[in-house]
Amino acid sequence: MSDILELLVSAASSGCIYGLVALSYLVMIRPTGIINFAVGEWAAVGLFAAFFLLTNRWLPLPYALALIAAVAFTGLIGWGTQRIAVRPLVEKGAPILGPILALLGMLAIFRESISLIFGPDPHNLPAPFGLRQVSLGPFAGTPRDFFIIGCTAAVFVGVWLFFERTVWGKAFEAVALNRKAAALMGINLRRVTVAAFVGGAAIAGFAGVLYSLTAPRDFLMGLPLAVQGFSALVVGGVGRVEGAILGGMILALAEQLTARYADQIGIPSGMSLGVPFLLMIVFLLARPTGLLRPKEAAA
Amino acid sequence: MLELKGVSGGYGAANVLADVSLSVGKGESVALLGPNGAGKSTLMAAITGTLVRRGGGILLEGRDLAPLASHDIVDAGVALVPEGRQIFAPMSVRDNLRLGAIRLGARPGHSLEERYAFVFELFPRLKERAGQRGGTLSGGEQQMLAIGRALMSAPRLLLLDEPFLGLAPLIVVEIRRALAALQESGLTILLVEQKIDVALAMTRRAYVMIKGRIALHEESGALARRGDLANLYFALAAKAE
Ligand SMILES: Nc1ncnc2c1ncn2[C@@H]1O[C@H](COP(=O)(O)OP(=O)(O)OP(=O)(O)O)[C@@H](O)[C@H]1O
Ligand SMILES: [Mg+2]
Repeated sequence: MSDILELLVSAASSGCIYGLVALSYLVMIRPTGIINFAVGEWAAVGLFAAFFLLTNRWLPLPYALALIAAVAFTGLIGWGTQRIAVRPLVEKGAPILGPILALLGMLAIFRESISLIFGPDPHNLPAPFGLRQVSLGPFAGTPRDFFIIGCTAAVFVGVWLFFERTVWGKAFEAVALNRKAAALMGINLRRVTVAAFVGGAAIAGFAGVLYSLTAPRDFLMGLPLAVQGFSALVVGGVGRVEGAILGGMILALAEQLTARYADQIGIPSGMSLGVPFLLMIVFLLARPTGLLRPKEAAA
Repeated sequence: MLELKGVSGGYGAANVLADVSLSVGKGESVALLGPNGAGKSTLMAAITGTLVRRGGGILLEGRDLAPLASHDIVDAGVALVPEGRQIFAPMSVRDNLRLGAIRLGARPGHSLEERYAFVFELFPRLKERAGQRGGTLSGGEQQMLAIGRALMSAPRLLLLDEPFLGLAPLIVVEIRRALAALQESGLTILLVEQKIDVALAMTRRAYVMIKGRIALHEESGALARRGDLANLYFALAAKAE
């Protein structure tokens, strides 16, 4: 029993990271329709920026400040990416595939730049907490797991409040629903795109920082994470913020269950790498809108 | 108030609008008539900045709107009630109205509370349904919402694109009464319509657009007395050939 509860906590912490990556996709897809697979690379940017800020010889920053600065830096990268690979294409009326392909090109640039600067070795953020076990009620886990869960909850609550309670969140929603009508209200479409990419990048960067707490990561970490985040999004549905975290949790749980029990039923445990694809295919076939229906469909 | 000088524009390479010139005086109501596909909605898109390719002069009290983005045009005091209403269906009536006021900060002398009060007085039905989803309103109520939403930006010039399309006569009467109250309060209106009789009854002057050009410009009263009204578009199109 305690074994299961421990598995739940550890699954929840990876689920949080997938959920954040899914959320990063979502805040960009909602207003612009653009699926940006560079989110994994942005996570890597956040991680390596945090690593640099914490360990450089010249001005090592305190932990919290380094994380905030790394997230802000990733946001800036998101702005630049948008400026180069999205805005010029969208404003020339290119079909939506244009920016998606341009962003795939950016993905390669990010990855190679990181490998040039930091080399091919895995990097690990200095751990702020020990590895002792703590328990919260019946749940046991590492402080790291609880830190990841707490931070993710805060980000999701913040983004949910933005969408549900602020007029700018409604404006994002309006752009998603009807671009032309949104423009007629005087919503600045260019500014919404910028906000979506800066916000999406900051969320991805934060996911990357949290991700590195779980294991050392190298410059190739981006793409697998982008795939996991995307499957989480497909499972949960792009319509709602809550879907991203739900999808992340389901994916992580499925992965951990395969990793732990697969060989007992004769499946090699390495197959857990295939779980995201399998889940994605199942959901695309059975429930293409994801678990949580978007509000439009419910209306 | 509004003066169009040689406006052209379109979606692809070909022009939908060709050398369109018209004017609307301050406090005046003007009709823009024309058959399906004449380019009336395209002209509305050109005025409000949502048509990507547009040229010519679009002057609002002397200021050229042609180079501005749509949000700057809203700031200048122009609001469009678009064809087909285009409300945000999953959002509540109140949220729809709130979004209409998103640039209100640029319109000095107006507040959000004052705008809500203004719209709710004009359309009491919207007040009763403030929490209801826009998409669950009846067609007539949705049209009221589309008009109310445009009014939330405190416009000086209101553009209406076929606001009566598909509505029951009783609702048409109700909306016409509201528009009459707006006219009385001095709002400048450009009304796009296909149905000539309705439009002429509500306006002082009328332009008729055929195939992207202004084919006729008349006082509404004089136009209404013409005998060939039923065949007007057909006759003008034949003349344009
Ligand atoms: N988004 C678009 N892309 C390409 N062509 C368009 C688009 N919208 C309209 N058109 C074309 O532009 C021309 C004018 O259309 P427009 O909608 O302005 O006519 P309209 O006068 O408003 O007609 P209606 O009374 O039917 O609303 C038509 O030939 C139409 O096919
Ligand atoms: Mg039209």
